[in-house]
Amino acid sequence: MSDALVALPVIVPLLAAGLSLVLVRRPSLQRMVSIIALVAVAAVAAVLVVRADQDGPQALWIGGWPEPLGIALVADRLSSLMLLVSALVTLAVLVYSVGQGMVDEAESAPLSIYHPSFLVLAAGVANAFLAADLFNLFVSFEMLLFASYVLLTLGGTESRIRAGTIYVVVNVLSSMVFLVAIAMVYSATGSLNFAQLAGRLDALPEAVALLLQLMLLTVFSIKAAVFPLSFWLPDSYPTAPAPVTAVFAGLLTKVGVYAILRTQTLLFPDSPLTTALLVAALLTMLVGILGAVAQSDIKRMLSFTLVSHIGYMIFGVGLATAAGVSGAIFYVVHHITIQTGLFLVVGLVEHRAGSTSLLRLGGLARLSPILGLSFFVPAMNLAGIPPMSGFLGKVGLASAGIEQGSTLAYVLVAAGMATSLLTLYAVAKAWSLAFWRTPQQAHETSLAVQQDYQDAPGEERQRVRVGSASYGRVEQQEARSIHDDTPDRDLYQRLQDDDLPHHRPRTMTAAALGLVGLSLLLTVVAGPLFDYTDRAAVDLLERTPYLEAVLTGDTP
Amino acid sequence: MLPILAAHFLAAAVAPPLVGWFGRKVFLLLAVVPLASLTWLAAQGPAVVDGDRVEQDVPWVPSLGLEVALAMGPLQWVLALLVTGVGGLVLVYCAWYFHADEPGLTSFSGHFVAFAGAMLGLVLSADLLLLYVFWELTTVFSYLLIGHDPARRGSRAAGMQALVVTTLGGLAMLVGILLVGDAAGSFRVEDVLASPPTGGVAVTAAVLLLAGAVTKSAVVPFHFWLPGAMAAPTPVSAYLHAAAMVKAGIYLVALLSPAFADVAGWRETTLVLGTATMLVGGWRALRQVDIKLLLAYGTVSQLGFLTVVAGTGTRAAAFAALALLLAHALFKATLFLVVGIVDHTAGTRDLRALSGVGRKLPWVAVLACVAGASMAGLPPLLGFTAKESVLAALLDVAHTGDGTGVPAYLGWAVVAGVVAGSALTAAYTLRFLWGAFATKDGVEPSTVTPPGAAAVVPPAVFAALSLLLGFTGGPLTTLLDRHAASFPAGEHAPKLTLWHGVNTALLLTLLSLAVGLLAFAARALVEQVQARLTTPLSAERSYHWAVRGLDRAAVELTGRTQRGSVAIYLSVILLVIVVVPGAALVAALQDPVRWVRWDNVGQPLVAVVVVVAAVLTARARRRLKAVVLVGVAGYGTALLFLLQGAPDLALTQLLVETVTLVVFVLVLRRLPAYFTDRPLHWSRHVRAAIGLLAAVAVASFMLVTGAARTAVPVSDDFATEAVEYGGGKNIVNVTLVDIRAWDTMGELAVLVVAATGVASLIFIETRGMAIRRVREIPYPVSVRKQTTNKSRRVWLPAGRTLAPERRSIIFEVVTRLLFHAIIVLSVFLLFSGHNNPGGGFAAGLVTGLALLVRYLAGGRYELDEAAPVDAGVLIGTGLGVAALSGLAPLAFGGTVLQSAVVDLAVPLIGELHLVTSLFFDVGVYLVVVGLMLDLLRSLGSGIDRQILREERESRAAAPTGGGA
Repeated sequence: MSDALVALPVIVPLLAAGLSLVLVRRPSLQRMVSIIALVAVAAVAAVLVVRADQDGPQALWIGGWPEPLGIALVADRLSSLMLLVSALVTLAVLVYSVGQGMVDEAESAPLSIYHPSFLVLAAGVANAFLAADLFNLFVSFEMLLFASYVLLTLGGTESRIRAGTIYVVVNVLSSMVFLVAIAMVYSATGSLNFAQLAGRLDALPEAVALLLQLMLLTVFSIKAAVFPLSFWLPDSYPTAPAPVTAVFAGLLTKVGVYAILRTQTLLFPDSPLTTALLVAALLTMLVGILGAVAQSDIKRMLSFTLVSHIGYMIFGVGLATAAGVSGAIFYVVHHITIQTGLFLVVGLVEHRAGSTSLLRLGGLARLSPILGLSFFVPAMNLAGIPPMSGFLGKVGLASAGIEQGSTLAYVLVAAGMATSLLTLYAVAKAWSLAFWRTPQQAHETSLAVQQDYQDAPGEERQRVRVGSASYGRVEQQEARSIHDDTPDRDLYQRLQDDDLPHHRPRTMTAAALGLVGLSLLLTVVAGPLFDYTDRAAVDLLERTPYLEAVLTGDTP
Repeated sequence: MLPILAAHFLAAAVAPPLVGWFGRKVFLLLAVVPLASLTWLAAQGPAVVDGDRVEQDVPWVPSLGLEVALAMGPLQWVLALLVTGVGGLVLVYCAWYFHADEPGLTSFSGHFVAFAGAMLGLVLSADLLLLYVFWELTTVFSYLLIGHDPARRGSRAAGMQALVVTTLGGLAMLVGILLVGDAAGSFRVEDVLASPPTGGVAVTAAVLLLAGAVTKSAVVPFHFWLPGAMAAPTPVSAYLHAAAMVKAGIYLVALLSPAFADVAGWRETTLVLGTATMLVGGWRALRQVDIKLLLAYGTVSQLGFLTVVAGTGTRAAAFAALALLLAHALFKATLFLVVGIVDHTAGTRDLRALSGVGRKLPWVAVLACVAGASMAGLPPLLGFTAKESVLAALLDVAHTGDGTGVPAYLGWAVVAGVVAGSALTAAYTLRFLWGAFATKDGVEPSTVTPPGAAAVVPPAVFAALSLLLGFTGGPLTTLLDRHAASFPAGEHAPKLTLWHGVNTALLLTLLSLAVGLLAFAARALVEQVQARLTTPLSAERSYHWAVRGLDRAAVELTGRTQRGSVAIYLSVILLVIVVVPGAALVAALQDPVRWVRWDNVGQPLVAVVVVVAAVLTARARRRLKAVVLVGVAGYGTALLFLLQGAPDLALTQLLVETVTLVVFVLVLRRLPAYFTDRPLHWSRHVRAAIGLLAAVAVASFMLVTGAARTAVPVSDDFATEAVEYGGGKNIVNVTLVDIRAWDTMGELAVLVVAATGVASLIFIETRGMAIRRVREIPYPVSVRKQTTNKSRRVWLPAGRTLAPERRSIIFEVVTRLLFHAIIVLSVFLLFSGHNNPGGGFAAGLVTGLALLVRYLAGGRYELDEAAPVDAGVLIGTGLGVAALSGLAPLAFGGTVLQSAVVDLAVPLIGELHLVTSLFFDVGVYLVVVGLMLDLLRSLGSGIDRQILREERESRAAAPTGGGA
């Protein structure tokens, strides 16, 4: 049964997770199992991309139950593409973390726990892209969330537990809301299968359908971190180990975006909410990017850009035109790659310099030109500098906005450009401070900040500024931590003491560069890729390919 | 054209390692790339002059209308010659300019050559979107080049400023390009020129495109970044910030003027801003003491001048603009390179400290004078002929409008401005030459080391060209005419020549030169006036003010939204749920909702209990109380399931609640008795209100959605299909392990990671300790060792590991008697689950409870005795079994997780009705048992150990504490 391919991206990592738990005392075997599993998933995903493109959506009814009864998995153009990108990205992150495990032996990274959790995360992400059933989508979310709870609190340090608390509590609530939404959908329609729902929702009174739509949108917006449901993200992501943050940043919010894209197009065509989505996109972009500008830690800054750029994707969805949806899909692909890559690179920075705080870093470009290059290129890509994929995605969305031509769309185009500029400003600031400024200057500035901080009276302490990096009320914690962690040495002091890791993290660097390379490859293949996303967008808006593939009318 | 572009980028990629290995000599090698390109370009000259466009197309992203389309007309050809020629010679100059041990030289070489490539691409692009690609690349490489010496704060700030300002304009321009492309249906320059946008879109697009041009070309009010960019090494200044990149804006204006000159706003903007820039730049140049900054302001002034001419959009002006652009590139490149020589050989650029340099470097001074004369517009140099043609063109506009419709007052104001600007140009040219080379009274003569040939040849070539091209007005006229032909013929046919006869233009030139000479002669007076005329309005200050304001606003806003408080984040989510879907609720409630109060009286009673328990939970301050109340709510829910007629669900819920309670209690051992000892905060009322609102909203949602159903639920078919297809009578179990087994598999994975996660938090590094059997454990010191007879049987093997006061013989006996019975029961539940209440999940929980009892009765070693396996292995096996049972049917031609009914006749037992989904259920069972074991090991045994360790530590610490 060739349909079974559709189930493999989920079942293979799960099998591997089981195996990995059994092999708990054989780390090298564990590593091999994980890598083989993810390579297999990537290969299957590639096949699915080709098949979905050539033969239409690939649907599988699990267990062969009569049609609307069981659970269906569907790999259409969108799902397959998401699957392929996420598989490649998870593979790179896995390789990176394997490298990190071998480098940071001192930290005794609990790999025995890491591997199974990571594989379940991969399975959950894959399942989310394939699920053709609302409850099954919920299950996918639970898989990836539970895995993420474990990964986020790995090592159980205080800051991770604290950040983990916010993350877990918010997500448990959002899962509950999702369950409520599912209950509502089922009680109104008596079905959970997307294809069946597509028909049944039309029959509902308009207000009830709208209620369901809004409820689902709210749920997925929490996952996707759409304003104002985004505040939890920057407070929880940055504390995790680099590869974990990387994979979260790259994939988890995109699963939310995917869910929005899928449900909005398939279940609620001719949505009355496009304006609302555009407004949400606008606020997400702007509030997010201003948050990034205010940060003094690279990881936090990147977490805020993550939120902000979710706005781009929602913009595309909100346009509800083929060009808009296509642009959104392209942007998702771009953003998964680039955001994960950047976080991995920041992990390299942390490894090399012992910190990601802009107060403690300096001179990295000269210290390690490779590191400089591998930060600068993706950072510029994130900021949408041509000819890289960020630019192409931005152009795709902006021209879709102009083509749509409503006033709000023009406002969004302008906001998108402003976001792009501020992203550039934020990453250039980080570059300037961490990579250009000499470590000594960094050291002197941070001493001055500490002095100012200690001298400043209460409320004013929050407004201490260094150059253009500023600290506000948000940064209380940050400022306090500079203050508290005085014994921690910054890069300058480490250099003075010749206390930097001499071990070259080859595997980590290779994995990070691999992702950066992948993001550059997106530029080269942008032509065919955009054609593909165009076709995917048309499929989504037409709905029939999906519906016909799932509900064939004959019961197996 | 593509090969020469590619060659640049290739050279940029290999430059850093080459420079790293072989040092600065490599610059000479790198110069070959642009110079060879120059040769190729020069060879295309005749064709270009004949009006053949050289074109090349490679598709890239057809969906976006983006293609690598290159084309070369006369305008592009001239610019390409400049870009490659100046680029190549400046690279030669670099080989002299930099010290061998200059830090950062490797990356500099790469950035510089890449910039040259980007600039070449910019002028050759035949597609506006592609032009934008190169446009931004020049911005980025310029940023990197300005920050060449990043240790200097000034360099970093200047780089950032240039980046932000030019990108700001660039992005505006991008939107403009997209608008134009949308209107014309293509981004191809020829298409845009053929069908320019009209109406409001045209005006918007024009303004946006100009925003790009004026920021890039440092036109007022964005002129301030250019002098800042002088933080870059002088070759960079000579190339990027004089000859190449800053021309990009002018090029764009010149390129699009045929289509946009008549759009409202285009001429007004270019003329007004251009003139203002020319004056501001010239005026400020007169104030500078750093000769490089002086030239930088001079460049600003000239760029304003160029903007005026390029934006005018008449045939004569287009002609003159290209001539002026060429002249400017040649003399400004010369002058900057001369500044580099002076700086390096005399060690300063301060004109107050320089003295007598002209005498020591006479040849350099001659070159500077030639270039300076061209800048001031003296015959017989190209600067003069170009400026004459400009004045002629502008005078036409002022006199008659020359088809532009520019009102006379504006036309004359521009002419006046240009003449004044030329006077300032003459004055600062003199100031520059005097400042750099003159011997000044009272200033110690500078010590000068002679420069090498590589330093002098490039400026000499440029200066020579400035001179030579002054005499070749004829051929140049042919070339420029070809470019200007895209405009309708104007009042006069433009011509480059040294002698037009005595006309207004010549008189105006003489006037401006005279005024300039006067201003230089009276420089002391000018300085006084300048000192007095300070303006609070400064573009640069505004920029800093804006950036600071942005930073501050960002901090304020983020401070307001990002509170770091879980309570606030949850409140926001709940409020969104109340407000957003709630809005639709209001509409949905318009229709009457019919609802059934209850099916039997038991339901409301239990519901009340559950609600009260929930409210009390939220109010509880003692953790234990909260846990018990949650349990009450949970058991109540189980009861509700039962009343609804779902015994199987009720059983499972009951078991889950029990396990949860026990686990909570185990954990509570390590937690303070109260949630908080802080006084209650008033905000709890707000939170309670939000919670209540959310509850009401959700309840109403359920009511409304339930009432709206008309369709038949899919689960109606479960009853018959479960028996017929699934082969089981217990619908719940068939649903779990077959109909929706895929969900169950996912949830299994959830259980697996949950167990793993709990274990990881307790044991941090590895899951659990090695399992230790009782026989390996020595008696604790506190226990009196009894000699045991090997054959003697004990009730629980690990009982002896407990302190005597914690042992309960009765408990041990009962446990011993019950344990196996419970296990048998659980296995029964597992196997009978398909037809009767039970199933793998419930069975696993029952086994878990059996283990729990063993643990409670005999302690942690007893647990290991009861289940001497690693929980992780159990869980992993369970997940593996479930996954494999999903894949196995594929081998028999089925689909994933498909089950088969097998009826076997087994001797003794009889007919056995086996459904293969049982294997899946066994997986479930194993995972649940493993989960329970993990929970007991970590939250039970693990915490036991922690408590013991702490007791030991506190005992060890006690004597010293007592002594103090």
